[in-house]
Amino acid sequence: MFSWSYFLQQSMNGVILGCIYALLALGMTVVYGILRLINFAHGALITIGAFFVYFIFFRAGINLAASLFLVLGFGGLMGLLLDAVAYRKLRGGPEVALLITSLGFYTFVENFMKMVVSPQPYAFKTPASLAVMYRTSLLTFRSIDIFIIVSSLLIMLAFNLFVKRTRMGIAMRATAENLEVARFMGIEVNRVISLAFVLGSAIAAFTGFLWGAKYGQISYDMGFLTGVKAFVAVVVGGVGSIPGAMVGGFVLGLAEILSTAFLPTRFAEYRDGIVFGILILVLLLRPAGLMGVKEEVRV
Amino acid sequence: MLNIEHLTVKYGVIPAVMDVSLRVEKGQIVTILGANGAGKTTTLKAIMGVLRPAGGRIYYQGMEVTAVSPVQRVRQGIALVPEGRGIFNRLTVEENLLLGAYCRPKNDAVKKDLEEVYTLFPRLAERKKQVAGTLSGGEQQMLALGRGLMSKPKLLLLDEPSLGLAPLIVRELYALITKIREQGVTILLVEQSAAVALGVADYAYVLESGNLKLSGKPEELKSLEDVKRIYLGG
Repeated sequence: MFSWSYFLQQSMNGVILGCIYALLALGMTVVYGILRLINFAHGALITIGAFFVYFIFFRAGINLAASLFLVLGFGGLMGLLLDAVAYRKLRGGPEVALLITSLGFYTFVENFMKMVVSPQPYAFKTPASLAVMYRTSLLTFRSIDIFIIVSSLLIMLAFNLFVKRTRMGIAMRATAENLEVARFMGIEVNRVISLAFVLGSAIAAFTGFLWGAKYGQISYDMGFLTGVKAFVAVVVGGVGSIPGAMVGGFVLGLAEILSTAFLPTRFAEYRDGIVFGILILVLLLRPAGLMGVKEEVRV
Repeated sequence: MLNIEHLTVKYGVIPAVMDVSLRVEKGQIVTILGANGAGKTTTLKAIMGVLRPAGGRIYYQGMEVTAVSPVQRVRQGIALVPEGRGIFNRLTVEENLLLGAYCRPKNDAVKKDLEEVYTLFPRLAERKKQVAGTLSGGEQQMLALGRGLMSKPKLLLLDEPSLGLAPLIVRELYALITKIREQGVTILLVEQSAAVALGVADYAYVLESGNLKLSGKPEELKSLEDVKRIYLGG
């Protein structure tokens, strides 16, 4: 039953899913850190990004590299609009108003997509250049797998450099930790928040493409559970912590795939339950998450 | 330097500060005393521009700044060292200090001021790469003060700097505050522990439930039975 090759193969699948969760968790953790908002709208960006690439790449025939830059740009723009239109006016109000708005935005996008595209899932063919098969004695994989791992690591690396090394990135971490004191420093908090939405949304839209290209299917409701699981990754890793979000993403991806792979087949359909089980377990053992720090009480 | 006229600030409908007027002259240390909830912090936040006054005017260096944004006020040389220090625990000591200079163009002057802060607080220099949350309470207060100085303030607002610190550290801290004043920085100091604040202040105001109760030179106030009763815990 157990073989190293099978284990490696499944671990690779877990890492790939983990990459996707980690990318999504990055954007969510930054927004949560600043606004205490579980941004369900983040999930909508996954759907929007996937369909955006579907239409401009498969239907309009724009080349792949350009499509990927366009989806990043389009996602960023959507994030900017979402923040400016839906959220900005609500800041300073009760946090639950933001939460409901984000759920509302998600539901709106989901229904809109259902109406405009179709309630049926779309087949998303892996672009030819990413569908090349490689076989080795231990592993079989396609170029999309390598592409997901490499692009995810690059994005995570770039994001980390941004928050560690740039003035704006340091301001973003400061704002996430204490918004009021950030304002005392003369940080333009609204600009920091806009940027957090732009970056997070751009990455989420890109992730939508990765999802489609890897799993071959996209649908109007693909973003919901994926978005929720990304938030689980955030919480598992430690809310507000950027390295935590990434670690949480990988833990979740690996756990989801490996549990499905090694538990008897009849458990496979319960993989979502397993993911949330892990969440509950981690929180019982470490209430602040794997890499979390105890939250300061906000005054 | 700073002139506040008939300031009123409300949280919703509840007034926190009512009709307060006060003046701070250049080079002075002025202190606002009062118990918890007297409106001291609220007054500082209004001066910083993060709370909008419901009434009254604030003048800084002869110009009205009542409606000016916090960012502009920081640029014009007002800095606040918040109550409970408000340092960014997850950031390093140096990142905290550099955020103090966020509104200044990044150049050699900032570097020079960073060195000056390290000279003033050698402990911070030793720990500059350390995450700020790991500092002791006294070191965190030094960091908050240093960060305030990094904006090159003309007017430094200090909110309860002695809160939660051991008496010995408080003495050290106040020696530094006097030193900062000697460098030409005007200081508005909010304190609950009146005795220490009156020791360094040129002038003092006393707030009670959002109202200005008394004002005067420290030696005048110290002799008043009222002050002792209400604020020195007598």
